[in-house]
This record gives sequence, structure tokens and C-alpha cells, in this order.
Amino acid sequence: MKTSNLRRLILQNLGRNKKNFIFSGIGIVAGISSFVFFVALGSGIKRVVATEIFPLDANRIQVVPAAAQFDAWIGGRTIDDEALSRLAALPGVAAVYPRMKLAVPATMALIGSEFPVEDLTKLAELPGMTPSMVEAVRKLQIWMEIMADGIDPRLVKGDAAFGVFADPPAGRPIPVLLSKRLVEIYNSSFAKTRSLPPISELLIPYVPSLPLTLNDSYIDRGIAGPKLSERIKIVGTSHQALLGGVTMPLDTVRRLNRFFGGEAAGRTYDMAVLEISSSDKLSAVQPAVRRLGFDIDTSQKRMAESVAFAVTLVTLGFTLLSLAMVAVAAVNIAHTFFMIIYERKREIGLMRALGASRRDIRSLILGEAGLVGATGGVLGIILGVGLCVLLNVLAGRLLPDFPFKPRQFFGYPAWLFAGGVVLAVVFCLAGAFSPARRAAKMDPSGTLSGR
Amino acid sequence: MIRLTNVSRQYGRGEEATHALRSVSLDIPDGAFVKVVGTSGSGKTTLLNIIGGLDTEYSGTAEVAGRDLRDMADRELSRFRNLTVGFVFQHFHLLDHLDARQNVALAGFFSDGDVRQADERAEEVLVRVGLRDKLHQLPGRLSGGQKQRVAIARALFSRPRLVLADEPTGNLDTRTGGQVIGLFQSLSREDGLTVVAVTHEDQLFRQADLSVRLEDGRIVEAGRR
Repeated sequence: MKTSNLRRLILQNLGRNKKNFIFSGIGIVAGISSFVFFVALGSGIKRVVATEIFPLDANRIQVVPAAAQFDAWIGGRTIDDEALSRLAALPGVAAVYPRMKLAVPATMALIGSEFPVEDLTKLAELPGMTPSMVEAVRKLQIWMEIMADGIDPRLVKGDAAFGVFADPPAGRPIPVLLSKRLVEIYNSSFAKTRSLPPISELLIPYVPSLPLTLNDSYIDRGIAGPKLSERIKIVGTSHQALLGGVTMPLDTVRRLNRFFGGEAAGRTYDMAVLEISSSDKLSAVQPAVRRLGFDIDTSQKRMAESVAFAVTLVTLGFTLLSLAMVAVAAVNIAHTFFMIIYERKREIGLMRALGASRRDIRSLILGEAGLVGATGGVLGIILGVGLCVLLNVLAGRLLPDFPFKPRQFFGYPAWLFAGGVVLAVVFCLAGAFSPARRAAKMDPSGTLSGR
Repeated sequence: MIRLTNVSRQYGRGEEATHALRSVSLDIPDGAFVKVVGTSGSGKTTLLNIIGGLDTEYSGTAEVAGRDLRDMADRELSRFRNLTVGFVFQHFHLLDHLDARQNVALAGFFSDGDVRQADERAEEVLVRVGLRDKLHQLPGRLSGGQKQRVAIARALFSRPRLVLADEPTGNLDTRTGGQVIGLFQSLSREDGLTVVAVTHEDQLFRQADLSVRLEDGRIVEAGRR
């Protein structure tokens, strides 16, 4: 039978059995819409984990000094300038960015009443700023232990949107970057409960420089040596910045470490971030790094993978549930088709008498099932996406703010739409397979004579 | 030429078996108008189904136009039914949701032609059987005689060489039955079609070229007019 003729017959038959097919198709629509919903939800959450909570660059690895003592003899235990040169020379390594921790403790006292009046006035004029927020800033009294590290400015290129991220001249405040994750946690929980203004791109330029006392601790009162008073200025936020502290330019930390610990304290780094020229070189670079006597810090990656795995597991559970719904719908499709071919057996016999082959009959039944599946799949996708959009709007309006609350709870991978339709068609074809075989095997002489 | 040689057909097995045909041998020349008569259960319909390639579960040999039907694969046999044979049934077997033209054009779905050609051909054969004004009537609004004419038009759609009619007058009154038989006669005489009509109304088919009587699955009488 010609494809165009088959198509016409399929449409003709579907039109006649609309009620049956609509009833059977409801299950497919429900199953596919829930499949789309759960996959989109899982995808959305995984996107938040990968881009907001644990942002990972596949082309970067973090090299740390080896933990085992016996590595010392091959010279790989500490990361110094020579080690950086050796790492940079490895095939596949495009760049090396060292990081250094501030070697002394530091404290910060945020006393709102000490903020310059003109800064508070500017703050009050910002859009979205309420009088209660300005009042909360004015009454602010926080004493904090501060951790800090230094980072190669090339690694955070573009993140310092509100100042120059480089070791400042004497008397100028030290530019610092805040962790985007830290800012998110501060904004959605700490600031909210204390009526403080959220840290945003709008606010950062107006945050005054803040006092920082180096070689000082509220916890350890026995620290020896002189204290050093500096001021810091927030110049931006970065995924590369230290989660529980502030990140300064590498040269600043090197200078400060030398000041407190002598020349040697400014020579060793705590970590080197290696940029790999392409991800396919990664598998070759990692063992080469280990051969040089260094370790690769995978804690961040492992955490991200654990969270992603947990999300995948939960999503998979719900996805399987939705697939079970589609499978039940396929059983319903099978019942419908068994009923239909029973009702149409004389018609099938007649078609055989008029020249339809067994294959034509099989194609006709499977074609009808395929079209029911495709239609159900498309409707299921529309319903599923509609549900996602609706819930996204409701979640945005009704759910209270929480850390990393996404604007988009749902993600729609490109394969999802094609996959939804294919899944619906496959299940419908599977459901109709047995009825189609039975219809094709019907004895035309028997059906025409009513046997 | 249709040639049946020692054709037997049984339904079921063992003691439960029913013998519909027992060693039937028969030659039907091209262009003949043949009537097959017999009581109910004598094997008439089975004989027709075997000649038309609808039933292949028989023993013996059935040849149509020099081809052994059992040598044909399903696809080839389907093509044979589509192009060579036209069936007419006692209960018409018209599809209620299709109008007269669509019912006739149904065979066109299984051939290589396109839809427009099929519609044109359907109209042509409906005019030929005298239903020019009933092209778009649904079967539910046609009389018994008109339905059978639509069924005959459907049988003629593919310009077959052989028309097999199973009790074509069984559901018609005597006058309408006579008109249908007249139509078959003219198809045989004017168009050279081989017509094999199964009937239990012997008197209606007096003009047949060949008469075959079946009893209990056997040919008990075969003779020319």
C-alpha cells in the first residue's frame, strides 16, 4: 500500500473511533506530561547545582601539595615558583594560576555608626532600599574572624566589576572578591532576618571600605607580633572566591605573608589551578601531575557529583513512575485495539478481499497506534511544560526566599521534547503490536462469513 | 481459465473435522458465466474462497490464469485479489461510514494508483451499474438492490478478469435479484468477464453457461447450458 493511501486510511479510522482513542490517549498524555515535568525539574535542579552551588569548569583542575611525606624527596610536596614552572610545562596545560592563603588570622568589626554619613545617605537613595534597611545598617554591630586567600587575577578576570583587582598602592583599601555562594546565603537568610540590604550589583559600589585588622583574633588572644590595620573594598563577586572569607589579589597576600612570616612565607602556594587546553587532554594531565608528586583536589567535584547523583536518583524514581503510567496506558491501548479489531473484523476481512496484504493490515493498526502516540506525546509535552511554567510562576511568588532559589526551577534539555514523543509512540506501538499481529493473521474468508 | 484439481478442504481435526470440499476437480473457461448451486453447507462458499485466494488451507491444486494460488506469497496473493478478482457478497459488506463512491474506491487504497484516479474510476463503475445519482449516499440510505449494485461496482473497480459472487441475490427480492443477475450476464457477455456465482436460487440463473451442483462437498452435477 502506498504511504499516502495508508495515511488517509489511518486518519479515516482514527476519526471514526475518536472516543476510544481519546480515552486511551488520556493515559499517554498524563504519563508523558509527568515524564516531562520530572525530567525538567531534575534538569533544573542539576543546573542550579552545576552553575550556582558547585560551579565546576571541566577544563580546570586544582593541584594541591601531596599529603604523603615520602613525596618530599622528588620535590613535589610544596608548590613554589619552580613547581609552577614544571606544571606549566606539562603537555596539555594551557595556564597555571597559583593561590595562596593569608597566613595570619584577621578580624573585622562592622560598626554601622562608624560608617561615613555620606555613604549612608547614598545608600538610602538606592532603589529598593527601605528606611528600615538603612536603619539596620546604621545600627550594625558585627565582629568577625576573617579568613582570606590570594588569587591570580587572571583566574577571576571579569569578576571584579567595581574596581581594579590588583595589589593596591600603600594607603589604598585592598580590593576583595566575595564568593557568589556566600552572597547568596547572606542575601536569602542572614540579611532577610535582620532587615539588612541584600548585596547586589547595585549595592556593591556604595558599600564603604571596611576595616580589617591583620594578625588579630577574637578567639586566640595569645597571638604574638604586631597587628596591621588595613581597609578592604568589595569589588565584585566570583565563583572562584573563598567560600568562608574574602579573596584578595595574589600579590597582596604574598606581601602580607612576607610582612608577617618573612621572605619564605611568600614563596609557597597552597594550590595551583591548572587550565587544560582541551577536556580530552584531562586524562593525560592528571597522572602527569601525580607523577610530579602533587595531589588533585577533587572534593568540590565529588560534592557536586554527590548532589547531582542524589538529584538524579530522586528524578529517576519519579521518571520511572511516569514511565509506569505510560506503560499502563500502553496496556490500555492494547485493550482498545483488541476491542477495535474485534469490532472491525469484517472490515479487515473485506480489506483483505479487496487486496490488502497482512503487512498492510499490520501497518494500518500500528499506524493508528503511532498517531495516537504522537498526538498523545505532543499534548503530554504541552501539558507538562504548561505545568512547569505554572509551578515556576507559583514557586517564584509563593515560596519564601532560600539560598540558591532559582528563577527557573525547570530545565528543558533539547532531547526532552523529541524523547517525549518517541517514548509515547514506542509505548503505543508496543501496546498495539499484539492486536496488529492478530488482525494481520485473521482469516479473511472466516471473518467475511461471520465465523 | 480456472482449474481445480482434487481440491479438499476440512475445518477442524480428528472426529470433530468437517469436510467442506472433497476432491473437487473443475475447469472453468475464461469469460464463462458459472452458477454453483447447492444446499446450505454444501461447500459453495468454500469453493469461491479458494478460487478467490481468500482461503489457502486446502489440499489439491487451484490454478487461476495458469498460476497455482498456493505458490503465491501473501503479498502476491493480495495483489492477485486486488487486480484479478472482484468479490460480491450476500451481505454486501459495505462500510457504513463511507458513501457509495468511497466504498467502491476502497480497493484503490491497496493498489498503486492515486486517490483522484480512484475516485474517477469509482464514479465510472457506479454509473455503469446505474447509480449515477447515488454517488454520495451512505449505505444506510440505499435500498438492498442499490447496495448490491454498489458492491458489484466495487468488485468491478480494478477491472478484474474474474468476479466471484456469493449469494448475490440472497438478500434481494425476486425482481431486484433478476436485475442483478442481468447485470452479471451483461458483464460476462459484453466485457468478457468470468463470473462465478454461488446461489441456492437455481431458477434465477437460467442463463448461466455452466452449472455446477455441490452436495456435501462433492460435485454431483456439472453441465453446460
